Amino acid sequence: MIGSLVSTGASTVTEFISQNIFGLDDPNWFMYLLCGVIAAVLVLHVIAVGALFFIWAERKIAGRIQDRLGPTRVGGKFGWLQTLADGVKLIAKEDFIPRDADAPLFKIAPYIAFAASFAAFLALPFADGAVAHHVNTAVFFVLAVLGLEVFGVILAGYASGSKWSLFGAMREAAQVVSYEVPLGMCVVIPVFVAGTMNLTTIGEMQAGWFNNWLVFHDPFTFIAAIVYFTCATASVNRAPFDLAEAESELVAGFHTEYSGLRWSFFFMAEYGSMFLVSALASILFFGGWHPPIPIDIWILEAFADPDLVAAGPLKDAVPSLVTFLVMLIGIATLVAKSVIGVVVMMWVRWTFPRLRIDQVMATCLKYCVPIAAVCFVGSMTWETLDLPSMNTINRYEIHEDWSEDLAVSTVGEDGVDPEWPEDENDDESSEVMDGEEAPIEEDSVAVQNGLSLQEGE
Amino acid sequence: MSTKVDDPRVIEFDVRTDEMLINMGPQHPSTHGVLRLILRTDGEIVSEVEPHLGYLHRCAEKIGENLTPRQWVPYTDRMDYLAGMNMNLGWALVVEKLLEHDLPEKARHLRVIISEMGRIASHLVGMGAYGLDLGTFSPFLYAFREREKILDLFEKACGARLTYSYLTPGGATGDLPPGWVDECRDFLAQFKPCIPEFHELLTNNQIFIGRTAGIGVMSAATAINYGCTGPVLRGSGVPYDLRFNGEERYTEMYEGYQFDVIVQDPETGKYPDPHLEEFGDDLDYPEIPKEAILGDCWHRFYVRMLEVVQAIRLVEQALDKYESASGDWGQPIKLTQKLPKGEAYLETEAPRGQMGFYLVSTGDSIPWRVRARSSCFCNLSVTSELCRGTLLADVPAIVGSLDVVMGEIDR
Amino acid sequence: MGILAAVNRVYWHEFFFMLFAGISVVFAVCVLLTQNIVRMAFYLVLSLGSTAGLFFLAGAEFVGAMQLMIYVGGTLVLLIFGVMLTAQQRYVKMNTHPTDWVLATIVGGSLLVLLIGAAAGVDSWKDASASKKALAELDVDDARTATPLGLALTGVRVDKLDSDDPALANGQSGYLLPFIIVSVHLLVVLIGAAYMARTKRSATAPVGRAERARLNIMQMEHETDDVVYSASKQSSSSLLDSDQSQAEESTDEAQE
Repeated sequence: MIGSLVSTGASTVTEFISQNIFGLDDPNWFMYLLCGVIAAVLVLHVIAVGALFFIWAERKIAGRIQDRLGPTRVGGKFGWLQTLADGVKLIAKEDFIPRDADAPLFKIAPYIAFAASFAAFLALPFADGAVAHHVNTAVFFVLAVLGLEVFGVILAGYASGSKWSLFGAMREAAQVVSYEVPLGMCVVIPVFVAGTMNLTTIGEMQAGWFNNWLVFHDPFTFIAAIVYFTCATASVNRAPFDLAEAESELVAGFHTEYSGLRWSFFFMAEYGSMFLVSALASILFFGGWHPPIPIDIWILEAFADPDLVAAGPLKDAVPSLVTFLVMLIGIATLVAKSVIGVVVMMWVRWTFPRLRIDQVMATCLKYCVPIAAVCFVGSMTWETLDLPSMNTINRYEIHEDWSEDLAVSTVGEDGVDPEWPEDENDDESSEVMDGEEAPIEEDSVAVQNGLSLQEGE
Repeated sequence: MSTKVDDPRVIEFDVRTDEMLINMGPQHPSTHGVLRLILRTDGEIVSEVEPHLGYLHRCAEKIGENLTPRQWVPYTDRMDYLAGMNMNLGWALVVEKLLEHDLPEKARHLRVIISEMGRIASHLVGMGAYGLDLGTFSPFLYAFREREKILDLFEKACGARLTYSYLTPGGATGDLPPGWVDECRDFLAQFKPCIPEFHELLTNNQIFIGRTAGIGVMSAATAINYGCTGPVLRGSGVPYDLRFNGEERYTEMYEGYQFDVIVQDPETGKYPDPHLEEFGDDLDYPEIPKEAILGDCWHRFYVRMLEVVQAIRLVEQALDKYESASGDWGQPIKLTQKLPKGEAYLETEAPRGQMGFYLVSTGDSIPWRVRARSSCFCNLSVTSELCRGTLLADVPAIVGSLDVVMGEIDR
Repeated sequence: MGILAAVNRVYWHEFFFMLFAGISVVFAVCVLLTQNIVRMAFYLVLSLGSTAGLFFLAGAEFVGAMQLMIYVGGTLVLLIFGVMLTAQQRYVKMNTHPTDWVLATIVGGSLLVLLIGAAAGVDSWKDASASKKALAELDVDDARTATPLGLALTGVRVDKLDSDDPALANGQSGYLLPFIIVSVHLLVVLIGAAYMARTKRSATAPVGRAERARLNIMQMEHETDDVVYSASKQSSSSLLDSDQSQAEESTDEAQE
């Protein structure tokens, strides 16, 4: 939350801190540094603590699926501290670099994978206002940075100096790069339904009951959510697509030669990516930080000051403590949904055998891509033809700031579809907006904004 | 006196520059034991596989020239250590053949119970480890959960869980403890519903079928020419099972039992009816997928699954016959029993194939020559044929479908 | 408080600019100077990643993400793939001939001189305070959305609606035609690449796994007859040797 305000240029919190705590008028460089560091540390904790929790959860879930218990000794009856003990063991291991390895590349590879995973979290909103860097093209940014994780893997495979590692790295790179295509196609579907790439806006659009979730928008988004989840599993190299780590075939694939802390960085990157793609699925399809029952809206409405409600968004009409509480509920909901996604990935891993590389490629090119393309066209048709949907999104609302500068807003005065008037002087220049030559209503949004357009100007 | 032995570490065949020589093993999570496979690959496609053996050789046969037959029984355990009871049986039968020793009825039924339970235990490992090779870990643990129960039963019978030395020449070292038969029946009653679980997780699973159907196809002629036996042979459609077609001394053990040879009927293309009504109505047997070709990995796997069902049938019949039989469990022969001059060879249908034992005696209590004919040895020899032209990821699938145990191959 | 006021001179914008630009330049120079080809590719990754950082610093997040996705995540992955697969013993070291150095210095140096001259000729870049003022006035939120860019590519320039030109004021100009041409071009390239990379099949080669399996059976049956026959003929050589020679023969056949 601090970080997002840092980045929007207003730096309210940095100003707040510098004025009240340090007594300066302008936030100076130290304030920015402090806020940046706090934001980075918060995001880092998501990955680090997440990895801690997920490794424990994986062992427990794997155990239970396999009719056994999993860790039960370290830290109580459920083995809570097992991951910590493993971490200590890994740190204490001998740092072993093979003779044929390219040492600098060998050392840097896990950090690249981890850095890519971490960087993608910077644009991920955990709740409205709880984002490290409020990027307007967040979806695109996250996808772009996720694709960089493959570098860590390729370098690891090559720099290990072993044929087995090279094999694993090659297969992994081919797989990740191929699956970016259907992943991108599935991600574009909620983007055009929502009309924006801004993850915060997409999440906010799904406020309310669970029928407002984009997965229930039309049957094609439903299928797209499933295909997205499959492609995301392939993209982070989880079973059944985990031939890069295929234990029974290549010992451990590209990270065969890694031990100790370097190895654990790869796994932190993997669990971080799993959490990230699940969180992305939650925001794009499954309602984001809004619980299925709109508890957060109810709380906001309960504490709203009736005078301020009409003037702006609901959040401004409540005391800031309540906003903070609702934000915490949002964060908890998003984390819960992402954890469910990660648990489903673990469940699938311990149930199914592994696919071969040619089968993985066939799944991508023969199944995922065509299905994603069909869902794309289907969803677009649904939108265009204005077919009924379970959502209550206003399809004609543009969510970007620049649209307020336009002479004509496309939102009618009560939020329903504007009636386009007939234009008798139809010339070629009216391809963009029909309402351009229409008489402007007195109390339309445009006039309220102080703008006007007269014919001939 | 010096013999020139090639250094096994030097690979002498020439490699073209676009090929890779990859070494799988001897320490490898996927090969079943200490097996070293040298693969010549062109990218992902394997052109040749050369197995290097001998990492588990323990001179068992040479040791047999210094011990009496009863003393040598523990060495048979350690050959196919996953099916120790069946190895014991093979040795016991050949010694009895040489001695022309006959068994009481109860001993015969006891041997059927024990060897068929051993068959179930062995196939459980084969199935579970096969899933493990292909990347699915859970069926392995489910299979071992069931195998643990069988091993507990064996522990009650003879005191050991893996290396039993229970079936000795002359019979067995002791009778089954009281209550064992009921416990065995309870186990079977609980085990039967687990079989559909395996079918769902493995046999019917689309990914599993994708990994095994059409892979490693072996024709019947190839199988016979390479000397493959057991499920490997029957998976290629050759209807040969030593419990039906073998020597009389072995087939008379199974006299009076109802069971089927698991092989695909060439006309109907179906496997023998597993008699579902005995198992309850809600068990569904999987159809043969259309991608599966006779002689591929899937069929070899399926033959083992169906053999488990037949083994259950046999055990149930044997338990009844054992309880109503007369005689004792077969007293073992004397430790220093003198063997008559001559030789004897007998093959039995072990879970992994035909296991043969050969005994040559010069009239002493210690044999002159002891030889074990390993089924897995011949099964493994066909690997290069099967792996030619397949992808690298198919090699564990093929080797896993042959279900080899290095202890038996190296002896 | 005194210390903080005294060191109130660090401007993060300039600091990050120096950092990103420095990394770009340093690693670009390292690409020139290193001899290991894989490291060369990796330094290029770092250099282009830093360039993306420069884009982010300028507020062009969309372009920065595009740089990461297309250049670093696409082109460089391809480059590293190619380098990694061919960087076996002999080809890892790249020794550049001295004449190549001279030629490259001349060409690159003249380009550098040209660029520096052009940059030095821009009046508005000479005054440092002007850039600070522009930075302060920059309306950061506006610059960051990708929708104006997308609309421009599909035919509407929404950022020029208040200009004097009547065509632009009506939102008529855009880049639709070039966009469509490039899209068709890319489609043609994709189809061409797929066609060129297809597996060449001869007219008589079998298609499909079942057919190949059946042919394999027939081939094996044919071979095993030879094996059995030759084994019975030879007395000293093992079955495995003849297997090997058979295997090599058939491997050669299969390679053709």
